[in-house]
Amino acid sequence: MATRKVNFKRPQNFLFFLNLLSLSLVILYNKSFDRLSVGVVVGLTLTIYISNLLLLKISSGDHYLLQIVSMMMSLGIIMIYRINPELGFTQVIWYVIGIMTFYLTYFIIKKITFWPKCMKLYIGASFLLFLLTLIFGSTIKGATNWIQIRGHTFQPVEVIKILFVFFLASYYVNRNKFENKYILSIIVYLHIGFLFIQKDLGSAMLFYMVFIVIFYVYENDRKFILINIIAAILMAILGYFAFGHVQIRVEAWLNPWSDISGNGYQITQSLFAIAEGGFLGKGIGNGYPSFIPEVQTDFIFSAICEELGILTGIAVIMLFLILIYRGIKISLEQKNQFYRIVALGITLTLGFQTFIILGGVTKLIPLTGITLPFLSYGGSSLVMSFAALGILQVASEYIYSEQEENYEQGTKEDN
Amino acid sequence: MNKEQKRIIKVLFLLSILFISLIVYLTYFELFRAEEVKNSSYNKRPANDEYVLRGSIYDRNKTLLAYSTKSNDDAQVRNYEYNNLYSHIIGYYDNIYGQSGLEKSYNSALSDSNVIDDVKNVFFQVLDNFKINEENIPLIKESQGHSLVLTIDHALQQYTKEQLGNRKGSIVVMNPKNGDILSMVNYPDFNPNDLSNNWEKISSDEENPLINRATEGLYTPGSIYKIITTTAALETEGIDTQFNCEGEINIGGFILKDQSAHGNVNLSEALIKSCNVSFGQIGVQLGQDNLNNISEKFMFNKKIPFDINTKKSIFPKNKMDKAEIGSTSIGQGKLEVTPLNMALMTSAIANNGEMMTPNLVKSVINSNGTIIEESEPKVLSTVTTSEIANNITEMMVDVVNQGTGTQAKINGINVAGKTGTAQNSGKDHVWFVAFAPAENPQIAISVLLENNGGSGGANAAPIARNIIIKALNNIQQ
Amino acid sequence: MFDIIFSGLSSIFRYLFILLIYLFMFGIIRLIYLDIKGIKNKEIRGNTYLKLINRKDSLPFKVDEFYSLVSNVTIGRSKNNKIIIKDPYISKKHAKIIKERNQYFIEDLNSANGTFLNSEEIMDAAILKNGDIITIGSINFLFVTEQ
Repeated sequence: MATRKVNFKRPQNFLFFLNLLSLSLVILYNKSFDRLSVGVVVGLTLTIYISNLLLLKISSGDHYLLQIVSMMMSLGIIMIYRINPELGFTQVIWYVIGIMTFYLTYFIIKKITFWPKCMKLYIGASFLLFLLTLIFGSTIKGATNWIQIRGHTFQPVEVIKILFVFFLASYYVNRNKFENKYILSIIVYLHIGFLFIQKDLGSAMLFYMVFIVIFYVYENDRKFILINIIAAILMAILGYFAFGHVQIRVEAWLNPWSDISGNGYQITQSLFAIAEGGFLGKGIGNGYPSFIPEVQTDFIFSAICEELGILTGIAVIMLFLILIYRGIKISLEQKNQFYRIVALGITLTLGFQTFIILGGVTKLIPLTGITLPFLSYGGSSLVMSFAALGILQVASEYIYSEQEENYEQGTKEDN
Repeated sequence: MNKEQKRIIKVLFLLSILFISLIVYLTYFELFRAEEVKNSSYNKRPANDEYVLRGSIYDRNKTLLAYSTKSNDDAQVRNYEYNNLYSHIIGYYDNIYGQSGLEKSYNSALSDSNVIDDVKNVFFQVLDNFKINEENIPLIKESQGHSLVLTIDHALQQYTKEQLGNRKGSIVVMNPKNGDILSMVNYPDFNPNDLSNNWEKISSDEENPLINRATEGLYTPGSIYKIITTTAALETEGIDTQFNCEGEINIGGFILKDQSAHGNVNLSEALIKSCNVSFGQIGVQLGQDNLNNISEKFMFNKKIPFDINTKKSIFPKNKMDKAEIGSTSIGQGKLEVTPLNMALMTSAIANNGEMMTPNLVKSVINSNGTIIEESEPKVLSTVTTSEIANNITEMMVDVVNQGTGTQAKINGINVAGKTGTAQNSGKDHVWFVAFAPAENPQIAISVLLENNGGSGGANAAPIARNIIIKALNNIQQ
Repeated sequence: MFDIIFSGLSSIFRYLFILLIYLFMFGIIRLIYLDIKGIKNKEIRGNTYLKLINRKDSLPFKVDEFYSLVSNVTIGRSKNNKIIIKDPYISKKHAKIIKERNQYFIEDLNSANGTFLNSEEIMDAAILKNGDIITIGSINFLFVTEQ
């Protein structure tokens, strides 16, 4: 890159300069140039460069996904590094692990062709994980959805998200063998029920939205979709009256100022940050993101708005929109039905998850604690987002449909 | 394109709508809500960038009223040159207690600097740091926020405060033609220079010195409201305004009283003598809807757009019986008004029926003195025709010349005014609203003495008279 | 002192950051737009076509995303070819794709750097199957035929 003339038509160069400038600014802000800062600057730059270069060599599919995600990761890391240098460095390591997961997933998904046939496996694995969470789960931030292993915590629900998409895809691919929309709905609602018991409302909402959209696209019985939506609304109302924690969330959303030191605290701090930022932001280091609890995970967007401005916030939203557009396009162009549904499901998961948390921190919808994909600090959620991206990458390629597979197996694997 | 693809495209459409609504909402939030949220007293952030020196505040003749300085440890100190005098207009700015008044509503302008300043400063800082600036050219060490130039006339403001003295109440003086507020004084007030020592006392004081009575205090208007009833009577056809006043009348089982029997009176005489018997009956003929509509033209039940926070004057929304309509039309009942609104009411009559939007900030200027934002006179509401307004003006001139407001008479100048004495749970509020000269109004004024007792004509009118003389002299200079 | 300089610097840089972020985004949108133009071409390209596998913006010369194969085509650097690619590693007349009795063949026209089919150099001519990768110069094409 150094020897070649810089071509400003390539978006990656803008990203490179952005990272260089902003990270130097953060280093200046921290007044320390040490191992951590070298690690972050070199680690981030190299990871972006190598991961994108490698993708060009390996995959014939979509090359924009990873570039967009590189930008998101950069913004996240800049912000996390500014909030807490240690965490910033850890996030770079997570990024490297994420990229490795991305390629690993890519190869595994591509090599193995019997994915559509393992529907029962997906259901079984999901429920096993749910049960494990119920038995061994510990409560963090009011939700019992964490498992601790030797001091490391991870959220099984991140894995279940992907299993859920695979389950829906394999169901619709094999629908002529065992179509039964009632059993399908029961399994889906069991998922949502488990999430409800864990008080993980954000994920419950996410699973339901993904399900209902896929249902809308593929279900033949149109009336049944309507029944499902009505049932969901009834359940939501019932849930509101039956569970205190739902009421608290809604109350904090409608009127956070009335309980500003209690349940309204997070959301009001987030609103202060966004309001203070203005369109251009305060500038890196000039804001007070640490006033917001959980700022590096759920509220990273508020911190970005405060220091980099609403315009950057809007850019983040638009980046996600482009990512979604690519995902939908992949789904539209994919000939293989299984991967088509998987691509749609993953796009929906990323899209709705983003909307739920961004809407939450800006008080457009009630706040539920889930992470912002690719920007928030966090191990299991980041790694699983990259795994999902790897699957999307496979789906973006030309895949033989089942008829062709029979007599032309193996030719594709040579490249 | 098959069905499945069509549906997938609809899904893309749905997701786009969701995300675009996020963008729209964020933009909306930033444009319309951010200021309010930012200024919440729960916001722990230091109220501005310490590196931008907060802008100053001047009166209309560039008298310095408030400014910031830096102490030795780089912290900013806000200085209020005239202590209590501007406590409700400028308000206070404090790291602990937040902001009020113009300090609050113009917070971002006062702490806003421009890019060129930023660039220049960093450059100069570096020069200084490396000792390249050998000639020691004095450079501005920090960006300076924008400054405000008010419509207030400092000399008049001081005089107004002297006139109000230590009486509870509020005085608003304005130019009826363009809406400029020339002075605005309330008592009790507080000293914004010395908040930390007095906060406990100020904030717990039952008399509420923190409240800007002129814009946020709600009071029964009493007879000054008859100006509105008169407007309604002249606007509505077929209203009988000729009455024989015997000193009292029974309206819907409620007896309206006058000080004395006024005898045979027409509308003009009724206003001059402030005849309750006449206005009670006019009100009943007009009915609630009519009174309500005219009152809303005078900005009752509406938010008056202003540079600092205002409360809405209240015309009751409940269904009134005859008795209540009667007492409402003489300015009693459940009516509640702000002194600012009454000054605007008077201005509207003075300005041929056109109520101008009140202005407190004439312009926002940057550190070089260049004007960034300037207020323009705007019509807020057309309350009536110029004929009716002139008609009422004549009646109000007679109020001062021969009616209840003779204490406001000035030799050689026609003053138009109206007195009010409003009953409430405590001692009566006394009011006087006026403008002068009646032929070419320069000054409109509203004087309120809260729970003062006595009458508007005896207690409030002399104050108005003094201020009008001072203000007209000021303008002629 | 440092704090003041830093906040000033940071206030200036924020303009630059936003500019860079948006330039990046518009860069991506521009590439996607070029892509969509490629899709539009798809409607007229028929059932059999070559699809470019390289990323378009990584190539220093003009090349289309799709080339439709309705009749016989020649590929090369000179102007009298059907598919013209200004890659210096491609010969003036490099290769030819022929359709004969519902079969597609690729023939190397004695090019300097050769023509490769699924990474193997073709000597004279070879039958094309759906999904074959054709390498000419630095460019990889996917051969697609939908029947």
